[in-house]
Amino acid sequence: MALKLNAINFQSPKCPSFALPPVASLRSPKFFMASTLRSGSKEVETVKKPFGPPREVHIQVTHSMPPQKIEIFKSMEDWAETNILVHLKPVEKCWQPQDFLPDPASDGFQDQIKELRERAKEIPDDYFVVLVGDMITEEALPTYQTMLNTLDGVRDETGASPTSWAIWNRAWTAEENRHGDLLNKYLYLCGRVDMKQIEKTIQYLIGSGMDPRTENNPYLGFIYTSFQERATFISHGNTARLARDHGDLKLAQICGTIASDEKRHETAYTKIVEKLFEIDPDGTVLAFADMMRKKISMPAHLMYDGRDDNLFDHFSAVAQRLGVYTAKDYADILEHLVGRWKVENLTGLSAEGQKAQDYVCGLASRIRRLEERAQGRAKQAPRVRFSWIYDREVQL
Amino acid sequence: MASFTASSVSFSAVSCSFKQNKVSSLGKASLSFSGNGSPSRRLPALRFRVSCAAKPETVNKVVDIVRKQLALPADRDVSGESKFATLGADSLDTVEIVMGLEEEFGISVEEESAQSITTVQDAADLIEKLLEKK
Repeated sequence: MALKLNAINFQSPKCPSFALPPVASLRSPKFFMASTLRSGSKEVETVKKPFGPPREVHIQVTHSMPPQKIEIFKSMEDWAETNILVHLKPVEKCWQPQDFLPDPASDGFQDQIKELRERAKEIPDDYFVVLVGDMITEEALPTYQTMLNTLDGVRDETGASPTSWAIWNRAWTAEENRHGDLLNKYLYLCGRVDMKQIEKTIQYLIGSGMDPRTENNPYLGFIYTSFQERATFISHGNTARLARDHGDLKLAQICGTIASDEKRHETAYTKIVEKLFEIDPDGTVLAFADMMRKKISMPAHLMYDGRDDNLFDHFSAVAQRLGVYTAKDYADILEHLVGRWKVENLTGLSAEGQKAQDYVCGLASRIRRLEERAQGRAKQAPRVRFSWIYDREVQL
Repeated sequence: MASFTASSVSFSAVSCSFKQNKVSSLGKASLSFSGNGSPSRRLPALRFRVSCAAKPETVNKVVDIVRKQLALPADRDVSGESKFATLGADSLDTVEIVMGLEEEFGISVEEESAQSITTVQDAADLIEKLLEKK
């Protein structure tokens, strides 16, 4: 089957990075989650032009799923209608951002805003850095809808295709769209953050896109989304908990509500992959190992605000320190998925399949061991300025 | 020159004050081997990449650790020149190899040094450097 390899070749050498905290190195927890930026691996490289967002320099592999497997997804359409679309919520039953925000039609509107801002004053800068990073990630939704529609066999061909897969893609996007809207409005009202810098970052990010290396392959794609939905569930769940700790119950509700959507989406995506393991265990376990070897890169890893060349690394360092999303979470998600999909019990695998099975089943403990080691040797990280909070400093 | 042995061990006896930049200026003119000594192993052309070259025992220990980490078949050749990447090590393997070396030799490897290791020889040389400092 024809593998198209487009060599994306940026010849310009990497820009010398400004004094880097030891966060983005082989030994640090961020090794797994981040950024392929300075990961030390030669597999994927990123270059930065001065005053420009980071771009990935690696060969983009396309259409890696053998075309005959597209049939599998066609034949799954009825199954998807019955088993996957049920995880969507009818719009009439859905929450909307307005449910959690001051009501412009009410006399109490300005008081409600005042109260919101009072509560926000009690919340520290480092929390806001993480919340902003999460909001920016959500606001890059066009990229994710695009990514779903790159997948062979399940894409929305016309933008209004009646297939179950296309219905899922659109409806999923519609549900997710509320997340960015809600967080955007909250952050706008709270007065703690520099909206223009945030908006700029969003524009850069959507312009950059992302390449999770799913190669138009729905096996890889749905494994990736399964992982990601669980990651966002954990992450928003943690920001909810922290908001509550800081005394802002309304913000906690906001984050918690978003988290529950993510959980529902996780359920759907993991069900799809579970079915794939049933239909094609060898192909699916190979895909799982492939994605894990490539590492699950975070959707916003190309984020840039026009100022900080290492913005994503700085953001993830804060998220790590606050316990919002950590290397331990990465390992936990992996372990969860291995269990959810009963990878250990797979039989009848090819030799390659067995190697993949071994790799995937052993990986979480390797990551944990590395992480323990890194924590044991963690040096004091620097404080870094974030343009999102008017260049105030935050501890990494 | 005939007695020049393939391994760079003979240089370790010389004071380890050869800094890389000093040697490279020497290297080009004066050290040209015509190969008539038939060294037992082909010498990579005079790479004084580190200031001191490691003892064979160190190299062998590294080879053992690498073999184990990468589960290499016995017939797969591994030597000082072997590149980790060529042996099939991914970035995770490389970190674990460095961790294994730290445990084996009782040393601590800094991030920057770890990142510069690409071959077995690099690892062995770094180990000896760190052992010396202890």
